[in-house]
Amino acid sequence: MTSVAGRPLAAASARIRRDPTVAAAVLSLWLLLALFVIYPLVMLLVRMLFDHGTLTTSGLAAVLTDRHQMRAFWNSLLLGFLVGIVGTLLGFLFAFTAARGQLPRWVLTAIDAAVLLPLVSPPFTTAIAMIFSFGPRGLITYELLGIKGFTVYGLPSTLFSEAVTYFPIAYLTLRPILAAIDSNIEGMALSLGASRWRVFRTVTLPLTIPGLANAFLLLFAASLADFATPLILAGNSFPVLPTQAFLQITGLFDLRGGAALSFVLLVPALIVFLLQRYWVSRRYYVTVTGKGAGQAPFASVSPAARNLLLLTCALITVVIVYFYALLLYASIVVALGANHTFTLQHYRVIFTDGLKAIRDTLIIAGIAMPLGGVYGILLGYLVAKKSFVGRRSMELISMINYALPGTIVGIAYLIAFNDRPLVLTGTALIIVACYIFRYGPTGIRATVALLQQIDKSLEEASQGLGAGSGTTFRRVTLPLILPAFFAGLGVVFIRSMTAISATIFLVSITWTLITVKILENITELSLGPAAAFSVLVVTIVFVVIALIGRLLKLLRAPGATAMTSLLGG
Amino acid sequence: MAMTSVGVQVGGVSKRYLHRVKGEIYAAREVRIDVRPGEFLTLLGPSGCGKTTTLRMIAGFEKPDAGRIHFDGQDVTDLPANQRNIGFVFQNYALFPHLSVLENVAYGLRVRGLTADAIARSVGDVLALVGLRGYEQQFSAQLSGGEQQRVALARAIVIEPRVLLFDEPLSNLDAKLRVQMRQEIRALQRRLGITTVYVTHDQEEAMAVSDRIVVMDHGSVVQEGTAEDLYYRPASQFVAGFIGRVNLIAGTATRTPDGRPGVAALGTVIAAANLPGGLALGDAVQLMLRPEALAIVRDGEAAAFRATVVSCTFLGEKVEYLLRCAGEILQSVRYNAGPAELVPEGAEVGLCVAEDAVNVLPGKRA
Repeated sequence: MTSVAGRPLAAASARIRRDPTVAAAVLSLWLLLALFVIYPLVMLLVRMLFDHGTLTTSGLAAVLTDRHQMRAFWNSLLLGFLVGIVGTLLGFLFAFTAARGQLPRWVLTAIDAAVLLPLVSPPFTTAIAMIFSFGPRGLITYELLGIKGFTVYGLPSTLFSEAVTYFPIAYLTLRPILAAIDSNIEGMALSLGASRWRVFRTVTLPLTIPGLANAFLLLFAASLADFATPLILAGNSFPVLPTQAFLQITGLFDLRGGAALSFVLLVPALIVFLLQRYWVSRRYYVTVTGKGAGQAPFASVSPAARNLLLLTCALITVVIVYFYALLLYASIVVALGANHTFTLQHYRVIFTDGLKAIRDTLIIAGIAMPLGGVYGILLGYLVAKKSFVGRRSMELISMINYALPGTIVGIAYLIAFNDRPLVLTGTALIIVACYIFRYGPTGIRATVALLQQIDKSLEEASQGLGAGSGTTFRRVTLPLILPAFFAGLGVVFIRSMTAISATIFLVSITWTLITVKILENITELSLGPAAAFSVLVVTIVFVVIALIGRLLKLLRAPGATAMTSLLGG
Repeated sequence: MAMTSVGVQVGGVSKRYLHRVKGEIYAAREVRIDVRPGEFLTLLGPSGCGKTTTLRMIAGFEKPDAGRIHFDGQDVTDLPANQRNIGFVFQNYALFPHLSVLENVAYGLRVRGLTADAIARSVGDVLALVGLRGYEQQFSAQLSGGEQQRVALARAIVIEPRVLLFDEPLSNLDAKLRVQMRQEIRALQRRLGITTVYVTHDQEEAMAVSDRIVVMDHGSVVQEGTAEDLYYRPASQFVAGFIGRVNLIAGTATRTPDGRPGVAALGTVIAAANLPGGLALGDAVQLMLRPEALAIVRDGEAAAFRATVVSCTFLGEKVEYLLRCAGEILQSVRYNAGPAELVPEGAEVGLCVAEDAVNVLPGKRA
């Protein structure tokens, strides 16, 4: 009897012994969030609103009254709106074809691979390919069509490039929703006499509308935050906010003006974030569990429509593949458009002059990856499984750096960590911290999502079999959330390799990044090395994704959810 | 609402699938069913027997690889589901989550281009019929399982379908509601006279609602008939075991001392009126006794054979006994006739069985 009575007692005392650990973890996370999320944003506002200790709105007023800056504001909104529309359409087209086309497995794999390509590339790879194709010496405009003096710069090319770059986000959002719609519901509409087109119009599409709204908002936010594409393609005639803020700071060394521009950018970004979090996501008709429907997919698309869908997807895929093939080609010829002799000189350049950037990037990514992974799983576990004061606000605040445009985060970090008490400018730490708190949230979301699917009874069963809470965590919970950990690792690494919008403000002579080097190359018009750098980054990222995919497959317990959202958002 | 009933002829249809492990398998193999106009026919069988595949082929959701399907002589095999004029009720109801009850029920009528007046009238009538007046503006998420079931039913019958099809419509309801809903479905079908094909794996449900039952196994029809036919005269061990409970006892065909046909089993000879034809003396047979046909008799009364009570389970209105007799374990169910009638465990009892309750199947036990 004593041993039986002793068990719950032991468990209770273990829980008490464990509580200080939880409390310490919560406290340290709050400290980190305060330091790396709240403090920089506060400093951004302070810098904008205070001039030598006196409150002033002159910084903000200067932006709001400047016609050029206001044009950039409206341009940003217009671009975001258009990218949202076009990208959502493309994403829906691909998602619908993949979910309803009854395609053979290899076609689905091909679609996934083509869609993955823009997601894992540095953000301006399509922009470079656009210049190669449609620039002053562009392969298509100049060589093929013989048009001289064609201007690629402006809204259409920026829109096209961003739509191709970001539509995969819409695809990843919409495909699980379409897959989760019960095929019986469509079958029911059909049996009531509706034509396939009518079923699509009156059942499938309305059920997808919350997902479409969500995809639109995600794309709007992505475009609003995109800094690299407009910098390369928008040109002088189409200024947008992130590039204006960048020029304000790097060109005019005007931190207050940059802060004010960031603030103007922050307002729509925050509205989109809140809409997406509190409005759209509550309106889903279907529950996306990550599990595919068990029954055979319903033949909801006529053969003709299916072929048309496939053809359109194939065309877009060809465009994407062409862009990347062009990039590869540009990296192994002397000068694309002028001299097409094979050469490895660009690679020689990046592995000599550019070696420091490569080394720095890998070191920073290598440090940020495990830290970001641990941060994601720890915070995710605490907010999903433990109850403590401020749990909900901790989750919300942890998402801020992730949701805000990188330009804002970068400028905020620059302002906050340039002066005492904490001088981090010029160190690797500031870049690492930026990556952890900006991309770690993917791991948080994955952990929370996984934990929500793990029934409480699993842990209770373990405790009922006599395991303490420590053993239960180690033997039951941890193995189940490992996929989230690796997903978090993967995203932090990939983004550390490809990001630029925030970190362009944080690089220095001592620590620089490949993406910054690419941008420098482009502005110096040495496009060969830029192409070689891009190919290198895409290759590294693909290898890492393949490794993590292999690892996830090995770790995944049968029946556990696939981490399809590795790169979602 | 009066419906024009049609007959449904399922003419030897087959449907093959490619299975990951087993290779090509038949979900349905030369299934032949003739549903008479206005009839309530049930496809009954264990999961994977092909009953749902057959139903989906009648609906037009699946196309048979071979065989034809006719509605009253009209070949509908190549007609898609939306041109067959059928009413379908899914197991999970498949209500449109973005539409109100009113719009769910009106969907098929709108497709048919009816006027707003006609739609309002029909929807009002059918909602009254299923007892959901006043629920017009509700959404499916706000309804209970039974209410969702009624909406699904209303939506299927409001279009006055030629055939009404049910795919395990009651499996998601609790036991009590299941009994109530099956009575409502049956009453409604009688009233409207719609030809109905109903799929279930629950033999009691099948017996409760059907005019006729088709038992399927491994993609094929194994027997069809009324509930009484299948219960009293199963054609195979599978049917005998699937519908109701049964004692199967190995024996040999023989004659009773007074020359009537019988079976030598359980250490005695049991008279059997329904011996199948073509049996020679000494052939191996299966003696088939329903538990309720096995009567426990008191000492002194005439008993066919003797047994020991192994266990006695008291269930209120009835008592279930397990008895050992000549090395076999037999089940017997007796209605509870009062405390004095209970037989304790370990008691030696006599058993007897009515001659017409004895069924015999040829062959050895499978």
